[in-house]
Amino acid sequence: MLSFPLPLRFLRLSLLTSGTFLFFTATYAAEAEHPGAAIYRNMCVECHGGNGQGVDGKYDDALSGERSLASLTRYIEKSMPEDKEGTCVGDDAKNVAAYIYDAFYSPEAQNRLHPPAKDLSRLTSPQFRASVMDLVGHFSVRAGQERILNMGVGLKATYRGVELPKPGEPVVDTTAKKGIKAKRPNKTIDKVEPAVFFHFGADSPEKEVLEAEQFQNRWDGSVFAEETGLYEFSIKTENGARLWVNDDSDKRPLIDAWVSAGPEVREEKKTIFLIGGRTYRLMLDHFKFKEKSASIELWWKPPHGVKEVIPKRVLSTERVPERMIISTNFPADDRSAGYERGTTISKAWDQAVTEAAVTTAEYVTERLDRFTGSKPGAADRADKLKAFASEFVKTAFRRPLNDEQKKLYVEAQFQKAKTPEQAVKRVILFTLESPQFLYPDLMDRDKPDDYDEASRLALALWDSLPDKELLDAAAAAKLNTRDQVSAHARRMIADSRLKMKTNGFFHHWLDFERAEATSKDAKMFPDFNEEMLADLRESLMEFINQVVWSEKSDYRELLQADYLLLNERLGKFYGKPVSGDEFQRVSFDPKQRAGVVTHPYLLASLAYSKQSSPIQRGVFLTRNIVGMSLKPPVKAVVFEDSHFNPKLTMREKITELTSNDSCMSCHRLINPLGFSLENFDAVGRWRTKDNNKPVNAVSDFASNDGKTVHFTGPRDVVNYVADNPSGHRSFIRHLFNHLVKQQIPAYGPKALEDLQKNFTASGCNIQKLIAEIAVVAASDGVTANTPIAKP
Amino acid sequence: MKHLHRRQFLRDLGISAAAFPFLSGLSSITGAPAPQRRQRLTIMFSPNGTIPNEFWSDQEGDQFEFKSILKPLEAFKKQTLLLHGVANKVKGDGDQHMRGMSCLLTCDELLKGNIMGGGGNPAGWAGNISIDQELKNFLQSKTSTRTRFGSLEFGVAVPDRADPWTRMSYAGGNQPIAPIDDPHQVLKKIYGQMKDKESLVSILDDVREDLKRVSSKLSARDKALLDQHMTLVRGLEQDLKDADKQGKLAHPVPKIDPSIELVNDNTPQISRIQIDLLVNALSNDMARVATLQYMRSVGMAQMRWLGIDEGHHSLSHDPDDKKESYEKLMKINTWFAGEFAYLAKRLSETPEPAGEGSMLDNTLLVWTNELGKGNTHSLDNIPYVMVGGGAGFKMGRSLKFDKAAHNRMWMSVAHSMGHDLKTFGKAELCEGGALELS
Repeated sequence: MLSFPLPLRFLRLSLLTSGTFLFFTATYAAEAEHPGAAIYRNMCVECHGGNGQGVDGKYDDALSGERSLASLTRYIEKSMPEDKEGTCVGDDAKNVAAYIYDAFYSPEAQNRLHPPAKDLSRLTSPQFRASVMDLVGHFSVRAGQERILNMGVGLKATYRGVELPKPGEPVVDTTAKKGIKAKRPNKTIDKVEPAVFFHFGADSPEKEVLEAEQFQNRWDGSVFAEETGLYEFSIKTENGARLWVNDDSDKRPLIDAWVSAGPEVREEKKTIFLIGGRTYRLMLDHFKFKEKSASIELWWKPPHGVKEVIPKRVLSTERVPERMIISTNFPADDRSAGYERGTTISKAWDQAVTEAAVTTAEYVTERLDRFTGSKPGAADRADKLKAFASEFVKTAFRRPLNDEQKKLYVEAQFQKAKTPEQAVKRVILFTLESPQFLYPDLMDRDKPDDYDEASRLALALWDSLPDKELLDAAAAAKLNTRDQVSAHARRMIADSRLKMKTNGFFHHWLDFERAEATSKDAKMFPDFNEEMLADLRESLMEFINQVVWSEKSDYRELLQADYLLLNERLGKFYGKPVSGDEFQRVSFDPKQRAGVVTHPYLLASLAYSKQSSPIQRGVFLTRNIVGMSLKPPVKAVVFEDSHFNPKLTMREKITELTSNDSCMSCHRLINPLGFSLENFDAVGRWRTKDNNKPVNAVSDFASNDGKTVHFTGPRDVVNYVADNPSGHRSFIRHLFNHLVKQQIPAYGPKALEDLQKNFTASGCNIQKLIAEIAVVAASDGVTANTPIAKP
Repeated sequence: MKHLHRRQFLRDLGISAAAFPFLSGLSSITGAPAPQRRQRLTIMFSPNGTIPNEFWSDQEGDQFEFKSILKPLEAFKKQTLLLHGVANKVKGDGDQHMRGMSCLLTCDELLKGNIMGGGGNPAGWAGNISIDQELKNFLQSKTSTRTRFGSLEFGVAVPDRADPWTRMSYAGGNQPIAPIDDPHQVLKKIYGQMKDKESLVSILDDVREDLKRVSSKLSARDKALLDQHMTLVRGLEQDLKDADKQGKLAHPVPKIDPSIELVNDNTPQISRIQIDLLVNALSNDMARVATLQYMRSVGMAQMRWLGIDEGHHSLSHDPDDKKESYEKLMKINTWFAGEFAYLAKRLSETPEPAGEGSMLDNTLLVWTNELGKGNTHSLDNIPYVMVGGGAGFKMGRSLKFDKAAHNRMWMSVAHSMGHDLKTFGKAELCEGGALELS
């Protein structure tokens, strides 16, 4: 710990507040009392307790927070002690604030009082799913197959049928018994198609070239799943069709509609659980035989999305191997600290792990011949299975096995099991239940080594296991310097698994869970339906992705952009006509739109079903964008519209509702921020009137560095936040928590400060920040052979 | 609407997720005595028609001789009922093989579709539920006859393709049910949960030991989490042991050769394994209805184990006077009769778990085919051989009908199991009602 012993810190502080202490020695200082301490004892201790820990029944919460000393002082002058406000002002307020601030209020004081440490964490459920997928993929995915190079081109189409006669050739009867093997030669045409949405009518797919009576088509390639969840695939055809998703054996079609049932177009649907950030094999067969017409459409409904023809942007002509998908329902991970982490376990969790382990063991044993390149009963069967088992454990443990582990996890299981196949099953079950797999940062070594760094990088960036490059680097002791670790982190940024994880962060930071549940009064906003909501979600995510994965990757653009991505439906609704299904960048008056905080998806989610909600918007801005912490409300007050004079504007109602002093301790921050968005109605449309009165979005905000900031609308808010250190810290903290699943102070007292400095210096580059966070997480506790160079 | 995971659904019902994979359905395989006689039905199918002259007895009534194909059934003659003159009269789309197969148990016209056969119009799947599924639903609807699966669909050497030639069981119109022809898959379906449980129990000890070993090297703070984990593992172990006590099987899980490959030449061994598994599943009362489908309609099995290299369907097209083919077809059909007899034998050797006599006394076995005769593609005189006491029919007889619609015969079977169907399949073919077989 680098913190000073308490008295010394007081000495330092006192130098600033009063010169008299200059004459005391440190020893004296140790015994001297801070002038604020006596005031605290007299006026505050009754409700807040001796160390600010709180008093049951008086003021339960501990006194700690992120206000600056100036802001704390002002707050005390104005609001404390409760019911005797105005009795602690001037120097008294200054002194007591200084005492409180340094003794326990400030984050630094909290870190000193409660030295932070990393919590032992198990894999979170997304981490478990990703790790098992990559663990099994270690045996099925060959080098070069991990990355799809031509995502977004569509699928490879093959049209097969009977060739039409060339000019002058006699027309031959092709209604032979043997179906497609007719008298005329067969013809195959290959193409790349952006989507499967074809209505051939009575014709063939190539009516100049192929007979119309009978033909067979295939669309082959892969599909990218952007999010984790249930995907509903559907095909519409009056002919025969089969669809495979994530099946490279061709034996288990997701939809088998090969046999038709009459001339009507029918729709067949099936749902499959897919893990996001991954590409899956997709293949569709379609055939026509003597039916009057032919058509085929391939649709899906991704999680939170609308049903749509599977779009080009998620389709590739490249084939990928089948992936092992754990669809076991895990209990929700702990979120009590504001982000999902693996610090608690429960019976339900243990059961889910067990079930997933059993599923994996079955999946692998069914494919054992392929994974091991051996046949049952072959002479080398046992050896090959044992080699496979060792590799499996090693991959799962993210490091070579020591002798003890080899014996326990491999040798002993082969001795105990009746057959080598049974032994493999035991090894898999044992491995997936083992502490080494489930608790990746388990420190049963003296200090972390290169393999730990590899493992931490992979977890922080991909939620998964280290890849071959990382393991090779660890084996060669090439994760020793900060530069080496940094280089890997930068390399790993390009992986779609990180994109997936980063999306998860934005979902969390912008509270998508709330937004996904948005519903509006159907009479007032009849057009604001599920499709609209799904489009808005996509519009916002697409905007974020464009910004984050651009070269500048500038956090400030997220806040300050004066455009929205709109498609036809959204354009119409938000008064900026656009044509086409594609999302297009549409510019707005910079005063009217400013990045994420004015995105209608958020504005609509932070509102009531008929009206705006300055409180919800203000709380969101305070906590997530400005980066100040808020205590839960002193008392729960429900906003009941009918309790107010119906002529009031929303702003007037909220001002009345929160006018009481105890409310205002927080609403002093919340309301000005919320009011700045009053130009947006309940669905995020721009308005100039509320309840037939002009909207007033002007307010003064008391920032935590003691200044007053004048806001005339959202543009002022984002301009204030974009370069504000407190906002940066909040963003960094959220991102760190999401990536690393730990608190920043556990990585050293200066970790946040360093990250912030570099973030600001990099032009608020998000990609660089992500890489640096991963490096901080990976290098924790590592003593390098060579001095760590700063990036 | 939000999709519910099945397990989420169970959790909402208050059923523990751990209990689910290992405990569900165990009560029905414990062999607890049922209050009434367990009536069972098993339908066996073999393809491509028979050789009528070597199959049907010349005599009618209770004094009759088996022809050569049915000789393997000699030991069960007193429990056998031959039904000559039953016809598949269903018309409509599809060729004879397709209608023979997909109308065999469904007794109604095929749906319109895109599958073109060797004649007639293209057709789709069956338009009606099949009789085995109809009876399964009937038995499952009552607590006294409900079992874990209700019905099980076994296959032997069924090709890996789905069309009206390969499916005879239908859960409803347009809903074919695939038979399982891989013994491992069968084993997994009926006993998989128990196998997994065995593997799991055997490694949990190791898991706990390792947790203990690792945890001893950790700081007190980290140790607490692993200690909690150890407690959870111990709890899981206990749950599994408790489940084990409840779930003792009346008949042990059969051991099967793990290395058997699903190839044509292994068919005889696979056939016996499937029959053993079928008898075992019935004896553990996992189902009261079963089907056993050999190959498929138009099946091309090469029965090299009988010294026959040609495909079955090609042979079945040869004219009657081609002696060599005739004899080969006799051999083939006799082999099927032998498998049918083995099924009867296995049931006759197994005492009825919940009552008197043998299992065969309470099971009706029906062996049938999609065609009457291969080279004519006739749907008249479809082979129907019944063995066993399950239906309470008067056995030990050779009966002759005059083109009685097979709808009526399946109605008799349904009635014998207490399911009082007024018609089954195409109503006009049910005229005259159930055949009198008692």
